[in-house]
Amino acid sequence: MMNVRWGMSIDLDKCTGCGACQISCMQENNMPIFDEDSDIPKRVTFLDLMKVTNDFEGGKKYGEVQTAFIPKMCMQCSGNDPKNPHPPCVTVCPVVATDVGDDGIVSQIWSRCIGCRYCQAACPYEARVFNWWKPRYEGDFKQGLNSDVSVASRGTVVKCTFCSHIWKRERDRAIAGGETDINKVTYTPACVSACPTGAIVFGDLNNPNSPVYETRLKNDPRAVRMVHSIDQQPENERARRMRIKDYPNPKVYYLSSQKWLRDIISGFQNS
Amino acid sequence: MNTIIEFVKTEWNSFSKKTKIALLVLTALVGLFGIFAIQILFWGLGYTDMNNTFAMGLWIIGDLGFVALGGGAFFTGFLLYIFRVDKLEPLINSTVLIGFMCYLFTFILLVFDIGQPLRAWFGYTYPNWGPGLMPQSMLTEVIWCLTFYFIVLCVELIPVPLKHKILDKIPVLHYTGHYLHRLMWIMAAVGTFLSFFHQGSLGGGMWDVLYAKPGWWRAHHQFFFMAIVAATAGGTCFMIMVPKIAERIMKKEVAPKESFYTLARISGVMFTFYFIFRLYDVYTMAATYVPMADRSFADTLGGYYGWTTLIPELLLCLVPITILNVKKLRENEKTLFFAVICGVTAIVFSKIGVVLNGFSVPNFPWRGFAGYFPTVQEWSIMIGSVATMILIYWGFAAYLPLFPHMKEQESEE
Repeated sequence: MMNVRWGMSIDLDKCTGCGACQISCMQENNMPIFDEDSDIPKRVTFLDLMKVTNDFEGGKKYGEVQTAFIPKMCMQCSGNDPKNPHPPCVTVCPVVATDVGDDGIVSQIWSRCIGCRYCQAACPYEARVFNWWKPRYEGDFKQGLNSDVSVASRGTVVKCTFCSHIWKRERDRAIAGGETDINKVTYTPACVSACPTGAIVFGDLNNPNSPVYETRLKNDPRAVRMVHSIDQQPENERARRMRIKDYPNPKVYYLSSQKWLRDIISGFQNS
Repeated sequence: MNTIIEFVKTEWNSFSKKTKIALLVLTALVGLFGIFAIQILFWGLGYTDMNNTFAMGLWIIGDLGFVALGGGAFFTGFLLYIFRVDKLEPLINSTVLIGFMCYLFTFILLVFDIGQPLRAWFGYTYPNWGPGLMPQSMLTEVIWCLTFYFIVLCVELIPVPLKHKILDKIPVLHYTGHYLHRLMWIMAAVGTFLSFFHQGSLGGGMWDVLYAKPGWWRAHHQFFFMAIVAATAGGTCFMIMVPKIAERIMKKEVAPKESFYTLARISGVMFTFYFIFRLYDVYTMAATYVPMADRSFADTLGGYYGWTTLIPELLLCLVPITILNVKKLRENEKTLFFAVICGVTAIVFSKIGVVLNGFSVPNFPWRGFAGYFPTVQEWSIMIGSVATMILIYWGFAAYLPLFPHMKEQESEE
């Protein structure tokens, strides 16, 4: 029985915006290179490094403007009840090309996807991307492909899976080494291992010894979740709303000591 | 073969200059459709203006519009065969044909819209059914209901060509057509059941379940049933508008005035229901549903497609409500025609608003509203579809007994 619920915390005070997480993600997940990679709306990338500023409405004076970089990947939403997960994108798929696993990872079967993009419409984080063009792996690039990840094909939706193929590799290795408890298998996604400042931390949200223990993160005044302002509501209001509808309940926490940054990440209530 | 060529030549020469130009323009549009269809199917959706933010566009608006307006077929069939509103009989062939074409092109546009058209059959082989027979995905329900209803429409349409004077002389075809016609009430009942569900799913349910998107999410039963009422209101207007246009072009009465007035009266009532429903929907969105995401309804109506689609939609709805519910205005040819055009446009605006504004609403506070303008490929496939529908309708009107009333009048003369 899988008791682990993988999650992530990203300390934006430590993030320098170097982009190493994005590059390692693209390499690990066989992201193709397109002629139009500057065409951001059609770009295929699992991890987007978003630049934000406290002056997006204009009007700030010189010296007051602050900027930050927000690494944004799939938040592996679970809906209100993590024990009975209901991510916004999973139930809408007409062909069961996407599912949520015991460990809370939202998977995607690339060869099952018909490319209807309904899941893209459902995703509030724009984490799902579509292969608008035929992916090309030219020249030596082919030799660098990761054999654990399917290469993408044109006309399908692809997404971040917290590099769950690495978990599968580690699981097989642990079993071969005689390990019988699946919950003891740990791993590190590509973006986490590439971060030079240790801003991205990964682990089990359920485990009190984990660096991303969810109860501790929820009580951390520096922590917010992306566009999830219900977290800031009083307990009774939160309960009332959650009786009426599901909320994404993402598994990625952003830490920042800057209030303006926490405010704009957490949602629209202060905008 | 020579006979056919000879027939085509004779027919072509019998057309007026205006008809010839219209046919050439329509054929050219169909040609463009073909050229860009090849480009999209072989080289992918990169040639559209859709992107990872604006994941759906013109073709989905087309699908929503075609299905809602084609929904007039199920509603008219329901009124005629189940409620026995016999005055609608002269219009039924036309409504079935329009419904058939609307659904056919919904499928065609969907095939263009999906990234992997060769996997389109996955919707049948790997459907996302939940517990019991309830579909987990609204799109699964749409795919299945559309397919079954399309089959029903095919069966409903078969008797129309079989009544052609040449085919009718063949006994097997004559009796097939006759008995199919006798069984039509069953088809109408099945069609109503199926259409009821997919009208609600595609027009409403598909969007209102997206709980993480404040531009769309609302109570499921609310938007689902509103889409059904929209289809009955806009669809009936469309079923009046198309034969009325044919009437103006052919300069002949295609159906008795009484038939149009009866359908117009029903349409007026349905538009009144729709308008009340829509106002309630706007109120609940503003008061309850959007604020649950800590946003204001007014903020989600910014950009290019918010207020600019909602206000025209509501204003246009008032025209059929005013005209079609007043006997004097309803029975005036000019005001009737104006009202049905406004009614159809109102429903089209509502579909544009659902799709475009829903995708346009920013997901992050630091983002502005997204914009979308279809490329020449998208326009060509969309307009080419409409041109093909016009040509098919024209062919049926000119060579098959689409309007029995018109033939009766001709024989009387």
